[in-house]
Amino acid sequence: MAVAEAYVPTAAPPARRDRAVRAARGRLDWLAVGLLVLVTLVALAAPLLAPHGPLDPVGTPTAAPGTEGFLLGSDSVGRDILSRVLYGLRSSWLAALAVVTFGLLFGGLVGLVAGARGGWVDTLLMRLTDGFLALPAPVVAIAVVAALGPGLLNTLLAVSLVWWPFYARILRGEIRTLAARPHVEAARLAGTGGVRIALKHLLPGAIPAAVVTASLDIGTLVLTLASLSFLGLGQSAPAPELGADAARNLSYLLQNWWIPVMPGIAVALLSLAANVAGDGVRNLMSGR
Amino acid sequence: MLILVAKRLTAVVLILLALTAVLFALEQTSTSDPIKTMLGPGASQALVAQKRAELGLDDPIAAQYARYVTDLVHGDLGTSYRTRRAVSADIATFLPATLELALFGLVTAVLLAVAFAVATTLRWPGAGAFRLLLMVGASAPAFLLAIGGIVVFYRELGWLPATGRTDFVDAPTGPTGLLTVDALVHGRPAVLGDALQHLLLPGLAIAVGPAVSIGRVLRSSLVTTLRTDYTRTARAKGLREVEVMRKHVLRNSIGPALSMTGLQVGLMFAGVLVVELIFAWPGLGQYTAQSIPVDDFPAIAGVMLLLGVAYVLINTVVDLLQAAADPRIEA
Amino acid sequence: MRAPLAPPTTALVAEVVDLHVGFTRNGRQVEAVRGLDLQVRAGEVLGLVGESGSGKSVLSLALLGLLPEASQPRTRGVVRVAGIDMLTASPQVRRQVRRDTLGAVFQDPMTSLNPTMRIGRQVAEAAGSGAEALRLLRAVGIPDPERRLGSFPHELSGGLRQRVMIAMAVAGHPALVVADEPTTALDVTVQAQVLALVRRLRDDIGCSVLLITHDLGVAAQVADRVAVMYAGRLAEVGPTAAVLQAPSHPYTVGLMKSRLSLTTDRHRPVQALRGGAPDPADVPPGCGYAPRCPLAMDPCSQTVPDPLPVGTSAHLRACLAEPSRVQDLALTAAPVTAATAVPAQRVDAGWAARVGGIEKTFRVKAGRGRKATLSALRRVSLDVREGESVAIVGESGSGKSTLLRVLAGLEQHERGEVELGRGGRPQMVFQDAGASLTPWLTVGELLDERLRTEGLPRQERRTRALAALAKVGLPEAVYGARASELSGGQRQRVALARATVVPPEVLLCDEPTSALDVSLAATVLNLVQQLRRELGMAVVFVTHDLSVARIVADRIAVMYLGRIVELGDAEEVIRSPKHPYTKALLAAVPDFGVAPPALKGEPASPLSPPTGCAFHPRCPLAVPDCAQPSLDVGLERLRVGADLLLDADSRRVACIRPKEL
Repeated sequence: MAVAEAYVPTAAPPARRDRAVRAARGRLDWLAVGLLVLVTLVALAAPLLAPHGPLDPVGTPTAAPGTEGFLLGSDSVGRDILSRVLYGLRSSWLAALAVVTFGLLFGGLVGLVAGARGGWVDTLLMRLTDGFLALPAPVVAIAVVAALGPGLLNTLLAVSLVWWPFYARILRGEIRTLAARPHVEAARLAGTGGVRIALKHLLPGAIPAAVVTASLDIGTLVLTLASLSFLGLGQSAPAPELGADAARNLSYLLQNWWIPVMPGIAVALLSLAANVAGDGVRNLMSGR
Repeated sequence: MLILVAKRLTAVVLILLALTAVLFALEQTSTSDPIKTMLGPGASQALVAQKRAELGLDDPIAAQYARYVTDLVHGDLGTSYRTRRAVSADIATFLPATLELALFGLVTAVLLAVAFAVATTLRWPGAGAFRLLLMVGASAPAFLLAIGGIVVFYRELGWLPATGRTDFVDAPTGPTGLLTVDALVHGRPAVLGDALQHLLLPGLAIAVGPAVSIGRVLRSSLVTTLRTDYTRTARAKGLREVEVMRKHVLRNSIGPALSMTGLQVGLMFAGVLVVELIFAWPGLGQYTAQSIPVDDFPAIAGVMLLLGVAYVLINTVVDLLQAAADPRIEA
Repeated sequence: MRAPLAPPTTALVAEVVDLHVGFTRNGRQVEAVRGLDLQVRAGEVLGLVGESGSGKSVLSLALLGLLPEASQPRTRGVVRVAGIDMLTASPQVRRQVRRDTLGAVFQDPMTSLNPTMRIGRQVAEAAGSGAEALRLLRAVGIPDPERRLGSFPHELSGGLRQRVMIAMAVAGHPALVVADEPTTALDVTVQAQVLALVRRLRDDIGCSVLLITHDLGVAAQVADRVAVMYAGRLAEVGPTAAVLQAPSHPYTVGLMKSRLSLTTDRHRPVQALRGGAPDPADVPPGCGYAPRCPLAMDPCSQTVPDPLPVGTSAHLRACLAEPSRVQDLALTAAPVTAATAVPAQRVDAGWAARVGGIEKTFRVKAGRGRKATLSALRRVSLDVREGESVAIVGESGSGKSTLLRVLAGLEQHERGEVELGRGGRPQMVFQDAGASLTPWLTVGELLDERLRTEGLPRQERRTRALAALAKVGLPEAVYGARASELSGGQRQRVALARATVVPPEVLLCDEPTSALDVSLAATVLNLVQQLRRELGMAVVFVTHDLSVARIVADRIAVMYLGRIVELGDAEEVIRSPKHPYTKALLAAVPDFGVAPPALKGEPASPLSPPTGCAFHPRCPLAVPDCAQPSLDVGLERLRVGADLLLDADSRRVACIRPKEL
C-alpha cells in the first residue's frame, strides 16, 4: 500500500522562447529596481557631485542653461542651479524614504499586532487608524506644520504622522486574510505559539504587499513633500529645496523659465524613477 | 439602508470632533501668540493680561475647547490676524473660485480616468501612447504641470491665459460665485468661454495625477470583472457586447474606482492650493499661502477645517453610493 | 421517465469534428483538447465524464463560442452548432447562436449570477420579458417566484441559484443546453433534485443536454449516452447501459473501480488509479492514458488510438488492447491482505475523546446591518473510543465541521463538555491540504516545528520527519520542498505526515478527499486507514459522502442542522437506515442506473432552524407533533414500549415515531 508517487515537480520547464521572454522582462524589472539604488546613491553623494556650494553665488545671475559653465543655468543671484537641484534632490529623496520607512515600521507593527492579535486590540487600533485615514493627509500635514512652524524636521514629523495609518491598514488587511487561511490553524494545532505564528506564519506573507505598496508610494510622497515645500512649509529661505525653489522664483517664469522649471523637472524625474521602480518591484514580487 | 446612513453619520460626527480637537490642540501648541499679534510687541503687561482674560485664554482647557466647538457650530472660525476680518467672511469671499476650480479638476480627472481605463482594457488604438502620456504626466508635480503649461501655452503659443479667472472687467459676480454658472445665468456665452479657457490649464494641472490613480483602479477592476463567471453567463445568454459591458461589467467595476476618487480628493486639495498660487487664482489657496508666512493660524485652521469637512462628507457620500449600488454591502 | 433512445439517424444539434484547442498559460503551450470527435443528437442527454484537466470544460466553452481570448486559444477542426462553426464564425453570429440555440449552466451558481442585479432582471435578459421570466422561475420549481423576482442572488440558497441558472439556460427554447458540472457545488439531496429537474425539462422542452461531470455516477443517472474524456481525447462513448455494463476502455474501468459506492468492499483497499493525469503542457505521444494503464503495450506509447466501434456501432472506444483483456481487468479485484483488513473493534477500549451536550452558536450578519444567531451545534454528544473510526456525515449547514473544530480546540463552545483522553490535543487534516501548509515554509520546517514542541534535539527531529514522510509514501526530496512545488495528492500526504509525525490519540479529518479527483481520493483514504492501523489512532472523519463514510468508519453519525439524528455501526446504518433523513441521504447518492427519489425542499437555514424536530418540513413521516416548539428530540435507542426494535446495542435515532421507522 501507499506506493510512493514519483516526485515530479508540478511545473514543467517552460519552452525556451518563453523562458527568454520572461527572463528579458525580469531583467527590465531588476533594472527598474536598480533605479531606486541609483537615485539613493546620487542623493547620498550630492555633496560630491555638485560642482558648487548650493548657497554660493558663483557667477552671472540668470545665466541660461549650458552657458557660462552652468549646466542648468544660474538663478537670480548667480547660484548654480544644478548644485541646488542636487542638494534639493538629496533632501527630497531622503525625506520620502524616511517617511516610507517610518510608515512601514510603525504602521506595519500596528497592522501586525492588530491583525495577528484580533479581538478588542484589533478594534481599538483600527478605529484609531480609520480616524486618521478619514482625514485628508495633506490637509492635516499643512495644519500641523503651520502650527509647529515651517522646517524640514516639522514637515517630516507632520507627514509621518499622517502617513503611517495607510500602512497599518494594508498590513492589517493582509494579515487578517492570511489569518483566516487554514495554515494558521494548522500551525496552532501543531502547538506553535502566538508570537511564532505571527512572525513565521503570518508576517512573511504580508511582506510582499507591504514592500510593493511602499515602493509605489515613494513617488506620491516625493510629490506631496514637494507641494508642501512649494507652499512654504519646508526649510527656510536660502536652503536648497526643490518645491520652494520653484515657488520663490515664480516671478522669473516668463523671462528666465529655467529658474523655477528646473527644480520642478527634478521632482518629476524623482517621482518617475520611484514609480518605474515601484512597478518593477511589483512585477518581481508577483512573480510575473 | 437607514441603519447604514445613521451609522455613517455618527462616524462623521465623531471624526469631525476629532478633527476639531486636533486643530484646537495645534492652536494651543502654535508658536504664534495671538495677543502679541493683536496688540503689537510693545503692549504693556497689564494690557496683555486684560486681553487674555477678555478672550478667555486663562480658562481651563476643556472650557476653551467647548467654547471653540460651540463657536465653530455657529460658524465662527475666529478672526484672521492678517486681514483682521472674520475667517468665515474671508472664506466666503474666496470659496467660490476654489470650488469652481476643484469641481472642474475633479470632473476632468474622472473623464480622463474613464477614458484611460476603457481604452487600455479594450485595447483601443492609441491607448498605449495615451497611457504613456498620462503616466509621465502623473509623475510630474502639479506645480511643474502648471508652470510648464504657462511657458508653453501662454508664453510660446499664446493660446491660453496665464492668470486669474477672467479677462472681463464686468464679469458677473452673482448669484453663485461660480463664474461659468453665473455667465450662463446672465446669458453671456463670451464670459463662459473665457472662464473655461482660464480653467483649462489649472484644471488639468490638478487633474492628471488623480486621473491616473483612479484610472488604474478602474482598469484593474474592469479586467477582474471581465473575467468573472457572471460575465461569462451574460455572454452565454447571447447578450450584445455593449449590453454585457453596460449592465454587467461597468456596474460591478465602479465601486473601487469610486472609493479611489473619494481618496484622491484629499490629494487634489493640496494641488488646488499650489496651483492657485501659480495662476494668481483668487481662491482659498492664495489665502492660505499668504497666511502661512505670517503664522496666521486661525486663517489656516479655518481653511483646513473646511477642507477636512468637505473630504469627510464626500467620502461618506461615496460609501453610501457604493452601498446603494451593491446589495451585498452591509452596515 | 426516460425518453426512448434516439435512433442514430436523428438530426444532430451539435457536432465536433477533430477539435484541437491549445492555450498559452503562463508562457507555456497547453494542449487542452487534442483531436476530439463528438455528436450531440436532438433530444438526448449526453453525459461527458472526465477528471480535471481532461479538457471537458474547454469543450463546453468551445461549443458556446466563448473560449477565453486572454489565453490566446489556438483551434483546429470544427465545432458546428445549428449549422454554424463556432470556431470561425464572427462574434455577432456566435452571439446569435447563443441567443437562439444554446443555453448554459455553469458549476458555481454563487459566482455565475451577477451579484448586483435582481434575479428577475437577469432571467428576463434571457427570457425577453418579465412575464416569461416568472413562468420560467415557476417551471424550474422556485417556491414563491413572484417574490423571488425581486431578490438578489446572495439572498438565495445554492440550490435555488442553480435553478435560476437553469431557468436562464432554457429560456427561449434552446436546442442544446450545455451544463458544466451543474451539481458539483451542491449538497447530495439538492443534487438529486437538480438532476431530476434537468431530466424533466429535457422531456418537457425536448432540448438536448450536454451534461459535463467528473462523476460517472451522476452521468449514469440521467444520460442517454455517456462519453468519457481523458487528456483531451475521447476514451469511450456509447449508450449508458452499454458503457456501464461492458466498459471497454481501461480508463473507464479504472474510474468505475476507484469510484466509491455503497457496495464497495470495505475490507479491501480502495482501488486507485496509478499516478496522476498528464500535464496538459506535456502530454506523452501515443495514448495519453498509457503511462497509467495496466494493459499498456509497446505500441501504446507511439500510436494514438482512434475511437472504433465495439460490438454495436453506437459504442466506440479508443484503445489498442483487446476487448477481452479490458473485460478481464474489470473483473479483477485487489487482494485482501492481513495488512488491509480493518482492525476488529477493541471491546474493552476506553474513550479517546468525548463531547457531551455541546452547544455552539455564531453571530453572523443577517443583512441590512442586523445580526443573527446561527446555531451550529445544538446539544451534541458523542464518544470516540480508543482506536475507533467515526464518520460524521451531513450536508452543508449540518454543523459537522464545527463539531470537528470544537474537538480540535479551534472553536470555543458555549455549553457542554469536551474531554480528551491522555493523548493530548488531537491533530487535524484539512479539506484543502494545500492551504493548510504555510506557503513560504518548506515541508521540513513545518514538520520540524511540530517536533520542536516535543523538545527533541535537532538531529532527531530531522530523522523523525524523514521517517514520517516515508510512512506516507513521500521521498526525502519533499523535505526541502514548499507546498507550491507539490501536487494535490502530495500536499494531502504532507498534511497527513505533519498530523501524525507525533502520533496523536485522535486524528481529525475534515473532508480531506472532497477537493480531489476520484483516483487521488482513493489513495488518500487508503493512507488514512493504513496510518490509523499502524499508529493505533482514533479517527474522526467528516464527510458529506456516505460511501466514503462507510469505507473509513466503524461507526457513522448522521447530522442535520446541528444535531446528530442517527448514530450506529457503519455497515448497519447503510444497510438499514432508520431516520428519514438518513434514508433520504442514502437514496440521493448517485449510482449507476438508479434515478433517486428526490427529497422535497431545501435544507433549512441554521439561522432559523424549524421548531421541534428540525427535519420535519422535509420529512415524509412528519406529524403535527414533530413541529412542537417544546419538543426536544434526542438520540434514543429504538424501542416501542419496553421492546427494543433493534438488537444492535449501539444504534441510536432521534425521532419521535420509532414504530414507523
